[in-house]
Amino acid sequence: MSFRNTFVAELRKAVTLPATWVALAVTLLGSVGVTVLNAVAVRAALDSVARESVASYSAFDTAYAAVPLGTVGAVVIGVVVMSSEYAANRTDAGSGRQITATLTASPRRTGLLVAKALTVVLLVAITAAATIPASAAVARLLIGAGPPETVSLDDALVRSVGAALYWTLTGLMALAITTLARSGIIPLIVLIVNSSLVSFSLLLTNVTPLAHWLPDMAGRRLFLGMPTVEGGLDTGPGAVVMAAWTLALLAVAGVVLSRRDA
Amino acid sequence: MTGPRVMNAVGAELSKLRTLPVATLTAVGTAVVGALIATALTAQLVDQGAPASGITVTIQAVPFVQTGLILLGVLPVTHEYAGAQLRTSLAAVPRRGLLLAGKSVATLLGLTLAAALTVGGVVAATALTGSLLDAPPVEGVVDPWPVVGAVAYLVLVGLLAHAVALLVRHLVPALAGTLSLVLIVSPLLGGLTRHARWLPDRAAMQLYDPTDAVLSAATGALVMLAWIALIGGTAAMLFVRRDP
Amino acid sequence: MLLIEELVKRHGSRTVLNRIGFTARPGRVTAFLGPNGAGKSSTLRILLGLDRADGGRALVGGRPYRSLRAPLRTVGSMLDGSGAHRSRTARDHLAWVARSNGMPGRRIGEVLEQVGLADSGRVRVGRFSLGMGQRLGLAAALLGEPEALVLDEPVNGLDPEGIRWIRGLLRGHADNGGTVLLSSHLMSEVAGIADDLVVISGGRIVAAGTLDEVTAGHASLEDAFFALTSPEQGVAR
Repeated sequence: MSFRNTFVAELRKAVTLPATWVALAVTLLGSVGVTVLNAVAVRAALDSVARESVASYSAFDTAYAAVPLGTVGAVVIGVVVMSSEYAANRTDAGSGRQITATLTASPRRTGLLVAKALTVVLLVAITAAATIPASAAVARLLIGAGPPETVSLDDALVRSVGAALYWTLTGLMALAITTLARSGIIPLIVLIVNSSLVSFSLLLTNVTPLAHWLPDMAGRRLFLGMPTVEGGLDTGPGAVVMAAWTLALLAVAGVVLSRRDA
Repeated sequence: MTGPRVMNAVGAELSKLRTLPVATLTAVGTAVVGALIATALTAQLVDQGAPASGITVTIQAVPFVQTGLILLGVLPVTHEYAGAQLRTSLAAVPRRGLLLAGKSVATLLGLTLAAALTVGGVVAATALTGSLLDAPPVEGVVDPWPVVGAVAYLVLVGLLAHAVALLVRHLVPALAGTLSLVLIVSPLLGGLTRHARWLPDRAAMQLYDPTDAVLSAATGALVMLAWIALIGGTAAMLFVRRDP
Repeated sequence: MLLIEELVKRHGSRTVLNRIGFTARPGRVTAFLGPNGAGKSSTLRILLGLDRADGGRALVGGRPYRSLRAPLRTVGSMLDGSGAHRSRTARDHLAWVARSNGMPGRRIGEVLEQVGLADSGRVRVGRFSLGMGQRLGLAAALLGEPEALVLDEPVNGLDPEGIRWIRGLLRGHADNGGTVLLSSHLMSEVAGIADDLVVISGGRIVAAGTLDEVTAGHASLEDAFFALTSPEQGVAR
């Protein structure tokens, strides 16, 4: 009962934070925007003489190219759910931060972190459920009549779930790192950089093959069907490794949060 | 009388930057990370039996270290909005335009220092690692321009972040927005359409890695400056007009 | 001298300040009284050039705050708390404030000494107590040796010793010919220090004058305050 209260309180806090909705809206609009650009280019190619060269294009693939953007949305959600607790309020001096109120209301800190994690999962899931189908629909609409869809509905569903899982795990890692650092700077930088092409983890794989076991490298095949670098773990084992990292980081964050003075 | 007032405003902003722990940490941290990345890249090139020139490694390292400059560009504005410091700043320098000018000049100086330090660290680490690993010597005449161009690019990316921060005011959206523009949206669109060359970072990239068919180093930098002027100008207008 | 004239401020359709006006004179401590949300802070924010008025004007020595060349040498101000970034030390905070108005660095040590923070100059503002933050805000206000002091709820968070100290400080400033404008919702606090009172309620000035004038006909300042600011009698004067 008490946990349920904590969870509802955390969910309420998160949905009344403007940053949450901005992250959700930017993810949705950004992904749709990139899809539009992509779909227009595909349509142009289909209309030109070189239509055979794009015969294998599918509307779903066109939309799916934008999924890396959703990672940023998930990171922002994971960060603000915790960093808002540590934001300075107007008095500056003393402990004028929301975390004081939160911890006096929900003194069981492990429960608090679990509640926050569930909140992140729920919000990222909503983001994914809105973004991926919307992008796919926009792509279908803009490409219009063309080559038959090469991605089956089942495939599309599995790949969407894969991307949503990657987003969720990244969002949870953002939550864990923000809890540890009590600031959003480090998780934003580390997780956004590592979800891009100039990933530090990718660079490290050149130094040691062990870097393939880092969470973002392990989980990268969850973006099913996206071109990626050779080597490293397969989709299934990779997802397990990434999930293990996430749980481990959350566990460390939980222990630290419980032991630390607010 | 205007001269000393501008100097006071710039001096105060530099003093703020110097005494903000996260700002100095970012500047030093970026240089250190840059040197580490250069070491890794050089070792990789030597492994492949290729000559590791400071130029090649600098070009490869810039996309990594730009994150630090983006953070440094965002901090001078966003730290004013964490808590109530902006109020003190406005009481001290009530002319909005003067405050912004002072802040932007100080940010530019800080970014230039950090960018020069970082690129210097990359070149030095490359030379050191190369000599330690007995890298094959670089042949022919080396054009040092890309190193200067890299410093200029990093400063411009930092200024872009400064402009975005001025527009959105808070750390998380400013940092997330600029990082995802430069690191995710730009490469994504780069693979989809030729028009992506007009994006600020892709245009400015011509400064150190001139590969574009349309834009040169000079025009690329101008495109970037136009973006900065557009975003920063809009933000400055809003800042001057609205109540904090 | 501080002059407020016909000041109007609206937030959307809500009128926060409705043509208010008063002056704070040199050599006197003027207390600006009113319940929470009456418009005290809005007035002070406009006076200090932070917010814009929708009508009327607020002048410092005959000029709008935003046109002052080195404002901190004319008006020292403090609105709730220190107004410092929490990761900077007190000394570093005062250093940039001093630099912004071209004030000498020796003033930093002097004001830290004056407000009783001499030993805490190297402590980060985030570690300060409420009262210490308040003292740091005062230190910044005193930095430019200004003619006028504008303070929003200056005794907030101060201990009894601190309250006695700030009374002495403000009295001394006025006795030396300076202007002091302070806002408060604490009657007992103001009774012992103010020469002039301005009472605001619901965005209107309901009483203004010397302490004796405003309290005439009431048993105490507190009675006067409640009589003046209660909704049904708010417009009596």
